Amino acid sequence: MAVDLKNRCVTDRRRSRLQASVLIGFVLAFSQSACQPKRQSERLTVASAGRISSLDPALASTTGVLQVLSALGDTLYIRGTKGKLQPQLAASKPEVSDDGLSLTIPLRRDVLFHDGTRFDANAMAFSLKRFLRIGSQRYLLNDRIAEIETPSPFELRLRLKQPSSSIESLLTSPYLTPVSPKAYADHADRFLNDRFVGTGPYVLNSFRNTQQRLLPFRSYWGAAPNNVGLDLINLSNSTALFGALISGEVDVLLSNSIDEDQKRALSERADKALLRESKGPAMNITFVTLRTNSPPMQRQTVRRALAHSLDRSLISARVSYAQREPLRSLIPPSLRGGKTKPWPAYNLATARKLFQQAGYCSGRRLQVPFTFRTNVPSDRLMALTWQAQLKRDLPDCVQMTLNGVESTTVYKQLSEGSFEAVILDWSGSYPDPEAYLSPLLSCKRSEGNVCEAGEAVDGGTFWTEPRLQEALRRSDSLQGKARLQELATVDAMAAQGVPYIPVWFVAPKAWAQLRLNPPTFNGSGLVNLDQLGERR
Amino acid sequence: MARGRELFRYCATRLALAPLMLWLIASLVFLLLRVAPGDPVDAVLGSRAPEAAKAALRSSLGLDQSLWNQYFNFLSKLVHGDLGNALINNESVRSIISKTLPASLELGITALIIAAVLGLAVGFSGIARPEGKFDFAGRFYGIGTYALPPFWAAMLIQLVFAVMLGWLPVGGRFPPSLIPPEGSGFLIFDSVISGNWAALQGSIRHLVLPACTLGLLLSGVFTNALRLNLNRTLKSDYVESARSRGLSEVQVVLRHALPNALLPVLTIAGITVASLIGGALLIEVTFSWPGIAMSLYESINQRDYPVVQGIVVAIAALVVMVSVAVDLLVAMLDPRIRY
Repeated sequence: MAVDLKNRCVTDRRRSRLQASVLIGFVLAFSQSACQPKRQSERLTVASAGRISSLDPALASTTGVLQVLSALGDTLYIRGTKGKLQPQLAASKPEVSDDGLSLTIPLRRDVLFHDGTRFDANAMAFSLKRFLRIGSQRYLLNDRIAEIETPSPFELRLRLKQPSSSIESLLTSPYLTPVSPKAYADHADRFLNDRFVGTGPYVLNSFRNTQQRLLPFRSYWGAAPNNVGLDLINLSNSTALFGALISGEVDVLLSNSIDEDQKRALSERADKALLRESKGPAMNITFVTLRTNSPPMQRQTVRRALAHSLDRSLISARVSYAQREPLRSLIPPSLRGGKTKPWPAYNLATARKLFQQAGYCSGRRLQVPFTFRTNVPSDRLMALTWQAQLKRDLPDCVQMTLNGVESTTVYKQLSEGSFEAVILDWSGSYPDPEAYLSPLLSCKRSEGNVCEAGEAVDGGTFWTEPRLQEALRRSDSLQGKARLQELATVDAMAAQGVPYIPVWFVAPKAWAQLRLNPPTFNGSGLVNLDQLGERR
Repeated sequence: MARGRELFRYCATRLALAPLMLWLIASLVFLLLRVAPGDPVDAVLGSRAPEAAKAALRSSLGLDQSLWNQYFNFLSKLVHGDLGNALINNESVRSIISKTLPASLELGITALIIAAVLGLAVGFSGIARPEGKFDFAGRFYGIGTYALPPFWAAMLIQLVFAVMLGWLPVGGRFPPSLIPPEGSGFLIFDSVISGNWAALQGSIRHLVLPACTLGLLLSGVFTNALRLNLNRTLKSDYVESARSRGLSEVQVVLRHALPNALLPVLTIAGITVASLIGGALLIEVTFSWPGIAMSLYESINQRDYPVVQGIVVAIAALVVMVSVAVDLLVAMLDPRIRY
């Protein structure tokens, strides 16, 4: 009897617990639908990572700032959605002098700054000169531009130090967006961090490091934005960004700094038609840098063997669920102009043969100390996966040891030759193959294949090729396909020498709520914020 | 009277030593930043900028000067209250602190109130029956919340309450669709003053999750402190004497034991306030709270020397002030304290 009573008590308690659980479940389910954030304005909320410490184009370098500037300002030229160079504030393509040392750019006559003043050649010259004086990346222009002239009110002339066909691409950079000389009169030689007065489709209505409000510019010369304004928010971590989109708190999410598994989760939601997803042209490449001025990486055979041993597809699948696409070139595919992949493909038999030629595999293993940046999660995963893959594929030929170092230390010690093999990434300062090849391969002084001064030293490879510098220089005086071909030759020379092993490229993505149009990207990998809008 | 003089002398000594302490901290931070590998120039120009461009910028920022020169420049400016300008965007460090400190204080003070209320309530709840269920639960709560990894707990709370349930915003300090009220930088206070109720509601909604998370994580300290002190106090002679005089247990606990047991808790609160200002980093990062700890974190990553130095000195100064204030308060409340 006592046992029965006890059992009944236990059963009653279980039942009441079950009832409580169901009740709690109902309450939670109800609250979930009841407490979704209500829209407080018709403006779109766009989220991205990282705080914005300055909106001064002279300081702009991060994707987040460039993205905002692309909405607030215009550039002389722009790379369209299909990657083609189009005039924006320029009225047409530049006229290049016969010697290639002068570039004359006719300007639009119907453009106003947000403060109502007129955009003209003087304003453009003011902005370029300001950038040359205080711009953080002024070295990009200083090496090229000798003088800036304004032959007429709507004509700008750039006198170059040497022929430079890449300057047209450089002029698409949001950090060269013109600013109003009137508004920046007191800031001609210093930064203006919390204001921006340009010519773009949006006016900056309010600025905070973590929140910016952009409203359509009523006197904009071009097509009006598809939306009534934007509230840009900057969140500091991936989970917050992911959660903000899922919970409906934000309308559009830009993908920079989202964790791979969250990117995949968002892509899966897009596949199920719960979100809209768009992909832009890749501007970021990841590669392994090999120090070629000392053994064992001094030997080209060893470098080629390592290049053949890298299973990019497997590593990408393990690290990023195959969202990062394998890369066998130093130029991102959208800028390459062709489909050539000059770098050695994964081929175990060739890798083994090359290792054997170099004297490894028969009782002797190549020791590779591989450095990765501890603050870049994908670097660590790539390093671990490659290490395991080599252990599986070539255990008798090569042994990889891992070494994690914080990125600032890596950058500091790169030119000192501290790292035999290190994984790094690079985004060109402007959308042009030259913006990848020059910073990675240029060399000012060399002896044989060893670079003694120049970007190849700064990059930690110390590798050069006597014909390479000449080919790079030649490419700057060529135009169109001939130029792209010349740059492809440079890429092929590097592939032959293997100072780097390209690993993958990362295409930017953006997600929008279902009621919106899918986001579109321009050829520089930035979202066209003015085209975001309700689906009609 | 003699005690008052002692207290005054103690406070004067503490305040007189404060500059020395600040100098030591500032020097240490200065040195550690320079010893740490990395370069602010890389953060400004990017890692692949030509060496010539890096050298030019290093020179314009004064980073090519000898360490002694940089140090004396820094100290002479500091003495005049000039914390310098950020290397990254040339904004004055004072302005960065004045923008971010109110956010941290708003979060910290709210979290402290939540921690104190929650912690003390839980700590007090078990007192009726020591070693009973409530006491055990309180002990478990105290240890559990203290041991919870802040980052994990914050993310879990964020996922449940912001993402899954959608009750509260995922992060940030203010609704993006509103313009924050101008004023002191304390958004709740500014919203009330300006009568902007939408802003007030928005500020509170954004504050709830980070403040509750931080409060929850800190509350264990209060729970444990109160439990231990109350247990000890309840066994002391004067409490026994109160009981023997026929006072009810409620009177004994509330009038005699609790005030004495709360004194060490006050000291703990003081220490917590001090550590809160800089220690809420993980919470600020998880909830994208634009506070001073987040600024410090970003500046360390960018090797922005003046900002790191300025923020550390400001936090140190606050810690000194709070610690002196707590000492004063404890001395006023407890006549037994001698200095």
